[in-house]
Amino acid sequence: MLKLNKSSFNDFLTDVMRYNELVAPVKTDTSRFETIRDISLIDIDLHTYFTAKKFFFKKHQTLYTAEKGKFKVPELQPEKKQRVMVGLKRCDLNSIKRQDIMFMKEVHDPYYTEERDRTVLIGVHCAKEYDEYCFCSSMDLGDYYDLMFYDKDDAYLVEIGSEKGRNFVERYRKYFWDTDLFLKPEDRRTYTSLQLQKKDMESLRENPGWKKEIDKCLSCAACNTLCPSCYCFDMMEDIDATLKKVQMKRNWASCQLQCFTKVAGGHVFRETREDRFKHRIYHQVQYFKEKHGINLCTGCGRCIRGCPTRINWVKMINDMEEK
Amino acid sequence: MPRTKTRREEPEPKKENPYLPKACKVTLFKRESPDCFLIRADWKGKYEPGQFFQVSIPGIGEAPISVASYSEDHLDMNIREVGNVTKYLANLKKGDTIYIRGPYGNGYPMEKFYGKNLLLIGGGSGVAPLKGILMYVDKHNDNFSDVTLYFGFRTPDDILFKDDLKNWRKKFQCNVSVDKNPKHVKTACDVCFVTSLVEKAKLDPENKVVFICGPPIMMKICVGLLKNKGFTEDQIYISTERLMNCALGLCGHCMIHGKYTCLDGPVFRLDELSEFKHD
Repeated sequence: MLKLNKSSFNDFLTDVMRYNELVAPVKTDTSRFETIRDISLIDIDLHTYFTAKKFFFKKHQTLYTAEKGKFKVPELQPEKKQRVMVGLKRCDLNSIKRQDIMFMKEVHDPYYTEERDRTVLIGVHCAKEYDEYCFCSSMDLGDYYDLMFYDKDDAYLVEIGSEKGRNFVERYRKYFWDTDLFLKPEDRRTYTSLQLQKKDMESLRENPGWKKEIDKCLSCAACNTLCPSCYCFDMMEDIDATLKKVQMKRNWASCQLQCFTKVAGGHVFRETREDRFKHRIYHQVQYFKEKHGINLCTGCGRCIRGCPTRINWVKMINDMEEK
Repeated sequence: MPRTKTRREEPEPKKENPYLPKACKVTLFKRESPDCFLIRADWKGKYEPGQFFQVSIPGIGEAPISVASYSEDHLDMNIREVGNVTKYLANLKKGDTIYIRGPYGNGYPMEKFYGKNLLLIGGGSGVAPLKGILMYVDKHNDNFSDVTLYFGFRTPDDILFKDDLKNWRKKFQCNVSVDKNPKHVKTACDVCFVTSLVEKAKLDPENKVVFICGPPIMMKICVGLLKNKGFTEDQIYISTERLMNCALGLCGHCMIHGKYTCLDGPVFRLDELSEFKHD
């Protein structure tokens, strides 16, 4: 097993930052993942309010530009610096896995793949729950990282999860020390007091328990925006002032808005707030699992933490009485 | 010393960008009805009846259009003017360029139906995808014995594929209705909803498969009528319409009960959409 002493952690990060783009959690007005220029801003244990997905699945991505019948794809840049992301939590890492399934396995998306290929993912294990909205311990999260750091007194125990992680350790070998310490199974678990207890969602579709929380929903789309797994998007054209150059863009979309299912002619398929609310929950904890074997939701709790009316849908489902 | 720049160890084989359309020429433009027209593009390649293509005009937008033909050297699309893209397409002429990517979706699994009797129910521009089936049946005539059509349009002016209909009347059991006949023109069609035709008809579920394509309300009523006549859900195939952006099974707009209309559809066997009232 390898370890990284906390006393040399800052030196390690400084060294990494010198030759790589370093991304880590930062406490600003709120908390988010940012490209680091000053390592004193990093708070490695922070469970950020905003997700890290914008680094791979960007808010706005130009897919191609069209001008006078010629289509141009924005050039991929394999010579870009390597990116090292530090401080991802188990929920963040697992949601990256969900997005990898969609953008790299289901469809080969060149824009996403390029960003993923140049990134080393370094996780930091949460030894205790961050706040009362986390419910990751009930979401069957797996191991998905290049490196994982486990807090152990004055050092981090380091677990290697991929070839990319191994190469990274080799490059920064001087910071990593061999140790006799090892991880116990309980060291790798997460503990949260909130848990999604029900597994059979289909039987709950018409349950009266939905109503109270749905009535609180504003359809503001904060849950989608803050979700690290949500991958739906719009494709929209951006036209310049001369009306000649067109950019086809991919932008984040929200299933909570009516326009999400509005077709030409004006018909909206999920017209009621109830249908849209249920659609999000069912996509997160049923549909995705039916197809890929794992839930889309990773239990990070951001959708509850960021909800302006604080809809705790996990508690809502737990409280539903089964017939 | 760490390297300043890292490159991928082995360059992967370059995969095609799935978002990029191909340029195609319009080889035929034909007005079918006051708000419908047919565009033939010189698309070369295989596609199945029931599949669809994403047609785009840079600066106007992109729209999913279902195929209304069965051929390997051209592609017919019957289009109704409802949105921005389709209104623009309505003004094209022979020789113009359109941009196409596809084909997408599953199409009708026609080979599974060899030896079966087919029942096609179409409403308005929903007849277009069914035309692909009829062209398929034409090419594989020996495999289908009994084909019955129920097509409904709003008025006699709105009737699509008038030339083809003459042909179809000879080959298949062809029933056409119009909702209204405001100009009182002489017509061979019944003046009623197509659902009334289906309701009155004596239909034997034995060895039959049903294809329905049309407005949601029409499909819903037809499904109810057919179930009353003894048809089961696994005999009925419906074509669904949803908003689509990427057509690759990613963007999420077209999802129905966790299924992507663009991948698992647009043709669904009814029992696959067990509770489609929710979506």
